[in-house]
Amino acid sequence: MSKTDEPVISVENLFFSYNRTPVLEDVTFRVEEKEFLAIIGPNGGGKSTLVKLILGLLKPDSGKIRAFGKAPEKVSHRFGYVPQDVAINRAFPITVMDVVLMGRLRHRKRNRFTARDRQAAAHALEIIGMAGYEKRKIDDLSEGQRERVFIARALTTDPDILILDEPTASVDTGGRTELYSILRDLNLTKTIIIVSHDLMVMSSYVTAVACVNRRVHYHDEGEITQDMIDMGYQCPVELIAHGQPHRILKTHEGGP
Amino acid sequence: MIEALQFEFMRNALFAGLFASLICGVIGTFVVVNRLVFLAGGIAHAAYGGIGLALFLGIPYIIGTLGFSLGAALVMTAVTLRAAHRSDTFIGVLWAVGMAVGVILIDLTPGYNVDLMSYLFGSILAVPSADIWWMIAMGAAVLILTLYYYRDLTAISYDVEFARLRGVPVRGLYFLFMALVAVSIVFIIRVVGLILVIALLSIPPYIAEKYAGSLGIMMGIAVVLSIIFNIAGLWLAYVFDLTSGPCIILAAAAGFFISLAADAIIMKSRKYSDNSDNKVAAK
Repeated sequence: MSKTDEPVISVENLFFSYNRTPVLEDVTFRVEEKEFLAIIGPNGGGKSTLVKLILGLLKPDSGKIRAFGKAPEKVSHRFGYVPQDVAINRAFPITVMDVVLMGRLRHRKRNRFTARDRQAAAHALEIIGMAGYEKRKIDDLSEGQRERVFIARALTTDPDILILDEPTASVDTGGRTELYSILRDLNLTKTIIIVSHDLMVMSSYVTAVACVNRRVHYHDEGEITQDMIDMGYQCPVELIAHGQPHRILKTHEGGP
Repeated sequence: MIEALQFEFMRNALFAGLFASLICGVIGTFVVVNRLVFLAGGIAHAAYGGIGLALFLGIPYIIGTLGFSLGAALVMTAVTLRAAHRSDTFIGVLWAVGMAVGVILIDLTPGYNVDLMSYLFGSILAVPSADIWWMIAMGAAVLILTLYYYRDLTAISYDVEFARLRGVPVRGLYFLFMALVAVSIVFIIRVVGLILVIALLSIPPYIAEKYAGSLGIMMGIAVVLSIIFNIAGLWLAYVFDLTSGPCIILAAAAGFFISLAADAIIMKSRKYSDNSDNKVAAK
């Protein structure tokens, strides 16, 4: 992957609605290579919808989305996606290994998985601290463990962009810190887009913040600064609900 | 039971049950994990319209039912893919319309009187040998296609969005799979009846799901369970001189409730041992 001036993701004048209810309006932003972008915003503000549009799983009503200069669905193999709801299909009879191996599915190659595929899957599980769980049924894991398996699955695709939709919703605080430090390591080689409320925990390695509440306010400051406060006015629900951006400012600027 | 096997109709019934078990176990596994039991029921019932159409137009039964249930399956699949949260209503409508059209068309066909009961419960004891060959062919086709697309079908069933991102042809496979369901149902209905098809598609895979570590194992367990239910049902029907289809269904239902009861007992004993562990720890 060579460094270019071309943004990894570009979104221009994007509009999207569900059954004529507008969800996203006039959204424009660019994500540069190796960005660590945090997407925040109130519930129902359109965060997951924005993620699915970027992935090409949803089509915009109007406007343009480009990933690596192409339509997202043309480059979907370059995305590693960790969906929000890992509790889907709980009773589904499948082992951890088989879930992770899904990341090795390739278009028009549907013979058996090779030894290399299995190696890649085992390696991803190791990175995420889940080695030894290969043969366990996914239903037997805790929410946090299942979350890691889904991250491992995304990693086995060897993605250029890792997109995580609220990956820590069901993980305890210790697990979160650990997860974020794994993400920081991955950020050395990959662009990361994460939907999360944990701005405080991530504040030291987030390079851009997008606040989504029907409209998107994008801030690509290297650090979280005064801009965050201004953004706070665009995103009042987030601030009231979590109160964390205030604390970020304090820790970063050494008091008021 | 052994002496019953000297009758050809009894042997045919057993073979029909075996192959229906094979097809239903494999297809039913995907039906159950994708929560498509209602859709499968809809296809099976809508196929009755095809029987009416075939009689009314004087065309072969198999062309009428295949055409009708394939059509119903494709429409239902298209609706499910477009508006998943509305599809149950739509399936219900097609279900009812298919049956109503079937009954009306049979009314309109002069001098013909088809027994609805034989359609609902089949006549496994009157299976001609030719139908057994059809079922063997169907079973082989279902097995080969499922094995070939096993990984893709598993991925779609587990997490359709991720499968799509990985370039799995989700729409195409979905239609292929529903077509497979429709064709299987048509052939099996002729032998064991529509109610038995739904029972065999849903009960054995449901029981198997809890004990399986993968879809492949789930299919295996479902097929074995289904064969057991078939043999038990046929034996009951033979011994007590009862209608065979409902006997097989009741055997399967008995298995279903036994597995539920077993789960409840296991849960309770686990809770109990957890509690006693805690007590030990507290001391």
